[in-house]
Amino acid sequence: MNLQGAAPLVILTILAGGLPGVVAIKRCYRLISAVAGLGLMAALLSIPYALQAPVPALPAMFTFNALSLGFIGLILVSALLILILASTYWQAETPLRREEYPLLFVAGILGATVLAAAANFMMLFIGLETMTLAMIGMIAYPLFRPGAEEAGMKYLVLSGMSSSFVLFGIGLIELSSGSLDIAQIIAATPADAASREMLIAGLAMLAIGTGFKLSVVPFHIWVPDVYAGAPAPTGAYVAVIAKLGVLAILIRVINLPGVSLPASVQTLITVIAILSMLAGNLLALLQDNLKRILGYSSIAHLGYLLVAILAAGTIGQVAVVFYIVAYAITMIGAFGVISVLSRSSAARDVDKVLELRGLFWTRPALAAVMTLFLLSLAGIPPALGFIAKMYIMAAGVHTQLWGLLAIMVVSGVIGLFYYLNIILVMSMKPHTDEALPGVLAISIPNRLAIAMVSLPILAFGIAPSPLIALLKLMFD
Amino acid sequence: MMLAWLLIVPMAGGLLAWLAGLFNPLAARIVSLLILLLDLAIALPLLHSTSNIAMPGNWMAGFNAPWIPAFGMSFRLGMDGVSWLLVVLTILIGIFAIIVSWDEIDDGVGFFHANLLWSLAGAIGVFVALDMFLFFYFWELMLVPMYFIIAIWGHENRRRAAIKFFLFTQGSGLLILISILALAFIHQQQTGVLTFNYFELIQTHTAGTLGFLIMLGLFIAFVVKLASFPVHVWLPETHTEAPTAGSVILASILLKTGAYGLMRFVVPLMPMAAHSLAPVALWLGVGSILYGAFLAYGQSDLKKLIAYTSISHMGFVLIGVFVFNNIAWQGVVILLVAHGISTGALFIIVGSVQHRLHTRDLARMGGMWTDLPRLSSFGTFFILASMGLPGLGNFVGEFLILRGAWAMAPLITVIAAIGLIPAAMYSLIAIQRAFHGPADEERDTHDFGARETAMMLVLAAAIIYLGVYPQPVLNVAAPSLNNMQPQPATAMLKETRAG
Repeated sequence: MNLQGAAPLVILTILAGGLPGVVAIKRCYRLISAVAGLGLMAALLSIPYALQAPVPALPAMFTFNALSLGFIGLILVSALLILILASTYWQAETPLRREEYPLLFVAGILGATVLAAAANFMMLFIGLETMTLAMIGMIAYPLFRPGAEEAGMKYLVLSGMSSSFVLFGIGLIELSSGSLDIAQIIAATPADAASREMLIAGLAMLAIGTGFKLSVVPFHIWVPDVYAGAPAPTGAYVAVIAKLGVLAILIRVINLPGVSLPASVQTLITVIAILSMLAGNLLALLQDNLKRILGYSSIAHLGYLLVAILAAGTIGQVAVVFYIVAYAITMIGAFGVISVLSRSSAARDVDKVLELRGLFWTRPALAAVMTLFLLSLAGIPPALGFIAKMYIMAAGVHTQLWGLLAIMVVSGVIGLFYYLNIILVMSMKPHTDEALPGVLAISIPNRLAIAMVSLPILAFGIAPSPLIALLKLMFD
Repeated sequence: MMLAWLLIVPMAGGLLAWLAGLFNPLAARIVSLLILLLDLAIALPLLHSTSNIAMPGNWMAGFNAPWIPAFGMSFRLGMDGVSWLLVVLTILIGIFAIIVSWDEIDDGVGFFHANLLWSLAGAIGVFVALDMFLFFYFWELMLVPMYFIIAIWGHENRRRAAIKFFLFTQGSGLLILISILALAFIHQQQTGVLTFNYFELIQTHTAGTLGFLIMLGLFIAFVVKLASFPVHVWLPETHTEAPTAGSVILASILLKTGAYGLMRFVVPLMPMAAHSLAPVALWLGVGSILYGAFLAYGQSDLKKLIAYTSISHMGFVLIGVFVFNNIAWQGVVILLVAHGISTGALFIIVGSVQHRLHTRDLARMGGMWTDLPRLSSFGTFFILASMGLPGLGNFVGEFLILRGAWAMAPLITVIAAIGLIPAAMYSLIAIQRAFHGPADEERDTHDFGARETAMMLVLAAAIIYLGVYPQPVLNVAAPSLNNMQPQPATAMLKETRAG
């Protein structure tokens, strides 16, 4: 059995299995974080090796091709960045044992990777559940915070429900076609009307589960509470890693040969996209909590992304991946700024918009970087988000989705309100009488992580060609 | 390559000024000043050069480098007479903006100057970009720093004003983006090549509804920037709340990007659609002239009054552009430069008045001539210039526009000319209320010093030169007007081929 193509998955499995052993030998948070980081790095570096695999590895369970390995690479890069941010976030004085956080973290990454590469529905479900269960633990990790516990509970109940939809959908699909292989089911036509209906019902249930994980309207209700309650690094995890895994499988399925979205499905996606863009941006207007704003903003961004998915064709394909990359990096950056300013030992994170007041005067560099992230989310040059938005618009113009583009413009302008508001608050003079959250020391790894996030946002925002060339490789 | 440096210098200079400001505020000011002088030294000699890159038409300089080949976007720059005039105006006004901020800005000096330089770099980019997407990139790039300048260093209601400014310009920016993408899309359908090259896109057949919509998108965006009635609502508040340097740049440079966009892009790219929209545009221009003048007349805030006069003057520009006539276009160029100078000077004067009197309220001024003779005489001079007094630059511009418009649209010309009466009224009333009469209150009687007087003299000399002997400026602009305004015959030919 040749496992070369599955190298990242093998490394991650060993890592996830071995980490509890490390905890058993020595309970040292730094050591565990370092081992987890090295393992993730090794998995990342094994991707070029995996790409050269002569024969497909584990073809019954997984598809390791340029597309899925590309997504795995994106997941691993994001994971590394979040891990660095998390490592300083969990302080020694936190009233709990912090060593298990990296365990959950790595288990979740393993789940996301399995999901991204799944070739049949069983693997899809296993990956999804591994990722989700790990995330519940990570959301409710600071048990002494009531908000975190509540968020964990909410996510547990709602994601449990969406998982049961997925499972039931898989059951129906298996019943209708007698197969669990994704490519086969897509390619084959059902024998009779009854099994055809079952297949459609099954796919619809899968769609509900997907909608929940991607948090598009009308499956978005959980987002603000969970984002606000979760500790900041977990917030980034939920906003980025979970979405990457689901988007990876979605895009792989859409790009399978012979797939064309029927008109009714296109209409449905159009409606969901419009609702997500408008609802996300409108609801964010009313928030005073930064994490909630990012939550609603992520809903709107997924709406934009659906526009690109609708705009099929070569521009559309790359536009989707480009937008995902821009979204992932920027979200990590924005949550990163929150987690850099927050400490796990406090009763809650520094996540009120007003708490950022005066950041331009106390921490100009951090404020400038945060401005860059917000500009990127708003799609304004010279940030990467601008090119990403342009890419989607180009794809939309190409397929003449004028109505969707008009909504995108309108909701983009609405979105400006709350992004600008944050920048304005940062630019206000700080109150002299209050202790600033910004006076906390920021560790060197955190500075590095924030710099590593902001650099590509600026560099690819000015000269995106290298990134476009790289992402095009995923579709060769 | 010189053109690329023209952009790189203020971009990198902004960063340098920011760093310098961390150590010493004075260093930031001096660095920014030197940066702009260097930029001026790069720009001035280009007047007598010719482009070493082959481009259709007459170009002083050109530059081309690949940028995003996947979309056929390149870093294509080109400078002709109109670009040169506007770039030099931008740099000069930038220098004055730094000088007026010398006393006014005390907080975050480094960051302020960085934003100032970046905004100017964006404006210069707008004036020289010949790739449609690059143009849009610079268009957006000049807004963000300007937003910061208003939001951080502005007056009392700065936040509201900054958000209003940004939403208007950003919303219209997205219209530009969609229009550009749609234009490139049509071009690709016709030729099979995806490109944003200005010279390629100008060959596109843009007859039909889609062409009209593309033109409309660009037209709305540029007219918002020009602050024409009825999309002028962002201007008075923004100009009033911005710090002096911000108002100067907004009025003298940023408004001009709208006019430039109409001349460089809307008319040449979509001649047929632009011609069909002309009646509407002309009436909007007339509306701006009268409405701006009418509102200016009713203002008691001197800064707001000047802001409303800008709306009125930009109405002339709109008329001038849409009569498609060489004389009127020459007038537009002169008026853009003259208005940039005179309004810039007026905002500087209002800034100085506010610095001394701590008010912009006309009711609390009065009698300044006795206390501040130099300030008041320059104030009177520039108000008269802006009113269009013969012998000064603005008169030449407005006269040429009306002269050119007469043959095309006599009725419009008559009504626009009537607009000169309220202009005289608000100007004289402003002069009278601000500078004459008895002084009601004790005030700081410290008049213009050498720095401010020198600045004013330079601006006044420029306005007189434009008014008395505008021919050299017209000579510089003439070849580029040929670049922009496709001959009616070729335009017609292009459309009939498409039809």
